[in-house]
Amino acid sequence: MKKSLLLIAPAVALGAAALALPGAASAAGSTHYQAELNPLNKSSASGTVMISLNGSQATVTESVSGLADKFGGNPYPHVQHIHIGARGECPTTAADKNDDGVISTTEGAPSYGAIGATLSTSGDSSPAAGTTLTVAPSGASFTYSRTITLDAKTRAALADGTAVIVVHGLDPATLSKQAQGEKSDLVPSLPLAATSPALCGTLVASQMSSMPGGSADTGGGGTSGVEDQAVLGLGGALLAAGLGAGALAMRRRTASES
Amino acid sequence: MSGIAAHARRGRLTAAAASVLVLAGILLLVAGVRAQRRPPQPPASAAIAYTPVSSSPPGSALPGSSQRVAQASPRPSTDMPSTATPVTGPVLSRSVPIRLEIPELRIRSRLLQLGLNADQTVQVPPLAKDSEAGWYKYSPTPGQLGPSVILGHVDSAEYGPGVFFQLGALRPGNTVSVTRSDQTTAVFRVDRVVSYPKDRFPTLEVYGNTDSAQLRLITCGGDFDPSSHNYQSNIVAFATLVSSHPA
Repeated sequence: MKKSLLLIAPAVALGAAALALPGAASAAGSTHYQAELNPLNKSSASGTVMISLNGSQATVTESVSGLADKFGGNPYPHVQHIHIGARGECPTTAADKNDDGVISTTEGAPSYGAIGATLSTSGDSSPAAGTTLTVAPSGASFTYSRTITLDAKTRAALADGTAVIVVHGLDPATLSKQAQGEKSDLVPSLPLAATSPALCGTLVASQMSSMPGGSADTGGGGTSGVEDQAVLGLGGALLAAGLGAGALAMRRRTASES
Repeated sequence: MSGIAAHARRGRLTAAAASVLVLAGILLLVAGVRAQRRPPQPPASAAIAYTPVSSSPPGSALPGSSQRVAQASPRPSTDMPSTATPVTGPVLSRSVPIRLEIPELRIRSRLLQLGLNADQTVQVPPLAKDSEAGWYKYSPTPGQLGPSVILGHVDSAEYGPGVFFQLGALRPGNTVSVTRSDQTTAVFRVDRVVSYPKDRFPTLEVYGNTDSAQLRLITCGGDFDPSSHNYQSNIVAFATLVSSHPA
């Protein structure tokens, strides 16, 4: 069996030794949760959230797409939270008590509860920052990655399956005429569309007892590039030597015949 | 001996030596070129989820696409509350796996158990000539509900092709059998085989919860970056448990 003869073989072998799996790195002793985010209120968005909880520190990794893109010409801010203290469910259309075609944040509360933590981009992540638009991620698609502190009530909700991720902010054009004219139940200076839920998903314990971290380095490149370079090199050298000797023989024969 | 005859013999010897050298050179070059091996890469069609009945496949995903691929089980509709979805298909009890076989690729391997190093990277199967695959022991055992993860090297600098060199040649419908220490063999059917760039790896898609007993076979693929000594993608084969039998 020919061996590959990459010149940097020792270094490559070491590189191949660092086998790790893709995804966010997790600390030892962490518990892992995940949520698939499903659309509410005729949104066409989707997304996923993973939380790695180590003590009171929660590393939240999120990816969403398909949300409302612009609000008054600027990127649409989507306030988002971990809701706790209720049934740990996402509301159905039955929750639309005033029949305006929109499940408002208040109408959804019996399903998912009040804010336990705010998934803000910076600064305060407590419920107090729940409607601060300036620290909400914005636009139609975004990824979010931040480590925040969770209080005891939110950690307990994670553990008993009653923690729900809700991302707010609907495209007003998708609302009924009636709902388009309504004010937000949370912030009366904003329209209803701005604070109503667009995505919702219950956080469930991961089936992995420890989520893999890093990239899967399951390959040292032994079959990439040009293999068996010495074989090819020797072959080339012999061929060149043979052609050279052949030319020499031809010249001698020509000289001897002259 | 006359000078002319000696000269002629030298000429013949040189010509003969030249022929031998040229022949040897050509033979080595041909052998060297034919020995070039590349791990097979899955085509885009292998990413389309396998459906055993003759209906059109669900929405397909191209490798590296950011779209969520349709899973074998339906996603909850907007009107359904996000409570636990029911389990589909057979599910086995917990039992540590000991052997893997992929008949269509003539792959057989004992299964090591891979844990975590202190830096949270997964422990490595030894880079031996006959490298073995390993089950990531913090994933469900093969046959249990959830994504059971098995990794193998595609190649190594020292020994050439690894145990999962051929993984990119797996196709939807192929069979993967895993024998567990309780002497049952769990039989999985490959749903799709996808190559994901490592810098856009869809973690939840590969390691997220499932509502059936699933397998994830992982190796490296795509282009090799010689400066970092790393492959740029991971090949992931997704498979679902279909049956089990005594080993």
